[in-house]
Amino acid sequence: MAGLATPDLDLDEVTRLDAVPPSAWQTVVWNDPVNLMSYVAHVFRTYFGFDRQKAHRLMLAVHHDGHAVVARGPRELMETHAQAMHDFGLWATVRKDPA
Amino acid sequence: MNGRIVVLEISSLEALHLAGIVGQFRDLVTGARHDDDPAVARLVPDAYPDDEAASREFRRLTANDMLARRADDARTVLATLGMDGTAVDPESDADATIAVALSEIEAQAWMRTLSAVRLVLATRLGIHEDDDHDPDDPRFGVYDWIGYRLDGLVTALDRG
Repeated sequence: MAGLATPDLDLDEVTRLDAVPPSAWQTVVWNDPVNLMSYVAHVFRTYFGFDRQKAHRLMLAVHHDGHAVVARGPRELMETHAQAMHDFGLWATVRKDPA
Repeated sequence: MNGRIVVLEISSLEALHLAGIVGQFRDLVTGARHDDDPAVARLVPDAYPDDEAASREFRRLTANDMLARRADDARTVLATLGMDGTAVDPESDADATIAVALSEIEAQAWMRTLSAVRLVLATRLGIHEDDDHDPDDPRFGVYDWIGYRLDGLVTALDRG
């Protein structure tokens, strides 16, 4: 049996699996004249798990600013969120973080 | 899971109208795909407004499933109303009140359906701005009424 080679690890160089690329993509929800404010806040709260205050603030941002970034992260996840928003009848888009 | 959490009280007449509208909505999303129908397009909007190819790909991968979920939601609404959206019993007592008890899952199907029906109506009515409203067009009454019902459902769920 072969002995295990001792890997030459530099323990100062920690590999962080959760530190994968920064939030390069965004899910954006856009204002429309149809969806009710109460409903949009409800969707934000129940789908994303935001507290009432944050859900309400984001809903107002959509309403007053015309859109709001509701999520940041990898593209696939942002597409999943956009699709979920579409399921609720909200108009969501995916874009690269302009920052 | 089987705990009923929301009870809607609506008149028989309202239930009949609602079933009729939701039945039409189900037919719209289950019928031959009309991608050029702006109402259907609103249900599966562009995910990449500045990238037509990416939007098309996104829609190709998601639209059929999404419309199928719409149809499932509509069927849930009709089933919980005890109606199939086609037959209307003219003998039923229009003023009687029906209590519709919904689980959380069913209530969510109701919310998504009512919101989607409003999107379709808004497209048909040409609502582009918050103030677009024609009091003489009875369809706006239906649109407002469905909004009222949706808001009531949201309030009930938020209370829980």
